[in-house]
Amino acid sequence: MEIATLLSVGVSNGCLYGLVGLGLVLVYNAQGIPNFAHGELFMASAFAAYTANILFGLSYALSMLVAIVFAFALGVVVEFLAIRPIAMNRSLGRASTEVAIVLSTVGLMIAIKGLARIPWGDSVRKLPAAFSTETISVGGLVLSTQRLLIIVVAFVLTIAISLFFSKTSLGKKMRATSQNTAGAMLVGINTGHIYSATWGLAAICGGVAGILAAPLIFLYPDMGTRMLLKGFAAACLGGFGSVGGVFVGGLVMGIVEIFFGRYLATSMMDIFAPIIIIVVLLFRPQGLFGSRSAVRV
Amino acid sequence: MTQILKLEGLMVRFGGLTAVNGVSLTIASGEIRGLIGPNGAGKTTLFNAISGLAPASAGSVHLDGLEITSKSAPQRAALGIRRTFQTVQLVQSFTVYENLLFGLHTRAGNPLTRLIVGSYATPDADADAIIDEVLDYLGMRDLKHRVVDTLTIAHQRYVEIGRALVARPKLLMLDEPTAGLSPAQIERLDDLIGRLSSDWKVSILLVEHVIPLVVKLCSRITVLDRGRVIAEGTGAEIGQDAAVQKAYLGERLDA
Amino acid sequence: MLAAVRSNILPLFFVLLFGLSFTTDAYAQYLINLMLVYVVVAQGLNLILGFAGMFAFAHGAFMAIGAYVSALLMNKFGVSYLVAMPAAGLAAALVGCSIGIPAIRVSGLYLAMVTMGFSEIVQWILRNWKPVTSGTDGISVASPVFFGVELSDDFQTFYIILAVCAVMTALAQFIIRSRLGRAFVAIRDSEIAAQSSGINVARTKVLAFAISAFYAGVGGSLFSLTQHYINPDNFNLYQTIMQFCMVIVGGASSLIGPFIGATILTWLPELLRNAQAFQEIGFGLLLIVFVIFVPKGLAGLLIDKGILPREEYSSRVRGKWVVRKERAEGSERT
Ligand SMILES: Nc1ncnc2c1ncn2[C@@H]1O[C@H](COP(=O)(O)OP(=O)(O)OP(=O)(O)O)[C@@H](O)[C@H]1O
Ligand SMILES: [Mg+2]
Repeated sequence: MEIATLLSVGVSNGCLYGLVGLGLVLVYNAQGIPNFAHGELFMASAFAAYTANILFGLSYALSMLVAIVFAFALGVVVEFLAIRPIAMNRSLGRASTEVAIVLSTVGLMIAIKGLARIPWGDSVRKLPAAFSTETISVGGLVLSTQRLLIIVVAFVLTIAISLFFSKTSLGKKMRATSQNTAGAMLVGINTGHIYSATWGLAAICGGVAGILAAPLIFLYPDMGTRMLLKGFAAACLGGFGSVGGVFVGGLVMGIVEIFFGRYLATSMMDIFAPIIIIVVLLFRPQGLFGSRSAVRV
Repeated sequence: MTQILKLEGLMVRFGGLTAVNGVSLTIASGEIRGLIGPNGAGKTTLFNAISGLAPASAGSVHLDGLEITSKSAPQRAALGIRRTFQTVQLVQSFTVYENLLFGLHTRAGNPLTRLIVGSYATPDADADAIIDEVLDYLGMRDLKHRVVDTLTIAHQRYVEIGRALVARPKLLMLDEPTAGLSPAQIERLDDLIGRLSSDWKVSILLVEHVIPLVVKLCSRITVLDRGRVIAEGTGAEIGQDAAVQKAYLGERLDA
Repeated sequence: MLAAVRSNILPLFFVLLFGLSFTTDAYAQYLINLMLVYVVVAQGLNLILGFAGMFAFAHGAFMAIGAYVSALLMNKFGVSYLVAMPAAGLAAALVGCSIGIPAIRVSGLYLAMVTMGFSEIVQWILRNWKPVTSGTDGISVASPVFFGVELSDDFQTFYIILAVCAVMTALAQFIIRSRLGRAFVAIRDSEIAAQSSGINVARTKVLAFAISAFYAGVGGSLFSLTQHYINPDNFNLYQTIMQFCMVIVGGASSLIGPFIGATILTWLPELLRNAQAFQEIGFGLLLIVFVIFVPKGLAGLLIDKGILPREEYSSRVRGKWVVRKERAEGSERT
């Protein structure tokens, strides 16, 4: 039974990593850069949920909504202020533009962390769980309701985003832009709007993960970095490609991590993500499933 | 006449796409060979395969009798293959002089520094002499210390040619050197290319869209279409060739 | 006269600091020492990030390797600082090579993630390999002894730090003006042109990693002298990001850049009253603002305005100024 419990924790953690990874993949595919500020979107959204729920006394559901809107807005605003001016600067070459954008996300990462430190300081906080019932038991397997919620929400959101890309016109435009920016501009797609939408959506992915995780983990301004690494690991496993790939990558990450932590050493859990990142990028950069695309000369 | 370059059955594949499909070609020493073909025919990819940037999936490349198929791009550069690019590839923040210095990268420095830092030694004194000679030849001596991004496109293309020339290559490959130039500038460049092969004892492979220019400069022309050589001969012969007309007309109809 | 000053700004900077050291109080001297340490570290980061254009996110970790190696060599084996410091640099360079050789296979910005993962692993080792590193307790650093004289305070260690910084600066200048330096820039701006001109890209990248890590290692060793006590938190993500800030604010791919950046970013935290939140916000915003509005950094700005001479990439031409118009021919031989 212990294995089943571990598995359920691993799967629900993995769902969180998959969501964070999904946000990273969206930005990576649109702009070719790893977004180092993504962990801070996760952190900020968790605090937004906390503020709405505890400080303003809103209901849990309403707090979630507030936090999701907040995440979306934050994503759109930082893209507009800190990313777009660089992306639109045509005087830099493509490579230097990308390096500059990454540097900007690094600046965002630390600035947002600092901003969060002013009201929240270094003490840790906790958000109560969504449902008053602590656990439910499914066929003998005892699962906390919060973890079940995570699994369900992550599943639904991942499928919704897949559908968004394959069915809606905005989603299709986003895909077209990420495949061929110049071509997309040529056919009259407003790439600025596309980037706003991408960052907003990515922030929602990170934000939802933050909101869902908030009742399970402690909230503190530095919580984003660890999540960022786990999200990167999930994205690497998924090959930075398909939405489903990242989700599975997150699950693999979550499950393997929990078993390593349990049967080797708890401290191993922290080093697992960086090891995955390095090993996968070095030896299987296409991820677990994908095939590698050629780079054009 | 010795053969400087010999390609046999050269293939380059990108996934499912075969960009160069069994190209065989020989270039004699001192020859200026034209390479033409519609957009996407595989001309640049063929250049990449010859200079070592794109790995050949099959076939062989010989330079001056030496098989170089498995050699890397820097090794081929050291053996005497130099090229220019369809879009200028210079260090924009370097001066003309500094860009030419990096064309001399493969030259040995003085023995002591070479021993310590390998081929990364500082340039030896006659690097300056070589560079001055090339700049004089190109008529750019007065631009020697200008930063490249302040130069016109035409001058940047000359710098690229200069970067190749300082190494005194055996084979010089020019990928659409006239792209983006005005008619007057094209005429000057055209005149330069015509003199290059005899003045620098170098064979030239020239990709060019301006057909009359190719016909004027090159005694022989190779026509590439969809990765294959579809014709080879003098300008007049090429002009008569049905396959060539079809390739070009077909392109016009598509466009 | 003025032109002579502007062309020799770095030697003058060292002379000025030397003179200042007779007038400083202990705290100012500590900050000057720290600033010189950061000059060394930022030069290393600048070589790989600014000149070679590779996004390495690992310089806090390389610095940690240098700091711990030199401190442990002195504490546990009684090795002289004269040996421990270069050993620290070499250890970092060796690790730099061994992460660099595989890491250069990954394309573009995946490098940023691989190197960040590497930093996390180094942090983890520092925290968990307790018998050697003492974990989060950190280790104290012995004062170096030169010919029987113990250099215990910042006024004394200043001379070592100043000398090492000067040597490392001269080395950086030598590298940048050599083929290697030009090869760095060449692979940054056009890998295909570099390869087609005979530059071995893989080897150049590994060298960039090794040299850059060497600087960070030496800097880490000097850093341990200024702190007398080191722990893993000295070398966390924040450390690496501060170094990014130094390079970008000062001017990436400029020799003078790290001096400007390290000076500003060593004194800025003092103005920000050493409050972590304000430092983070300050550094983050500086990084963003400079990347957007002053991508060449302050050094680039001064050079473009003609206040400082253009930095040359060859040893045979000196003291040219940025000229945006036609220039008379001829090169000055040195
Ligand atoms: N790195 C690459 N990966 C995938 N496909 C490539 C790559 N490089 C070239 N191609 C494809 O190979 C074909 C030949 O391209 P190439 O650039 O060699 O043509 P070209 O004759 O030089 O055309 P142009 O006249 O437009 O320069 C094209 O279909 C192109 O899309
Ligand atoms: Mg082409």
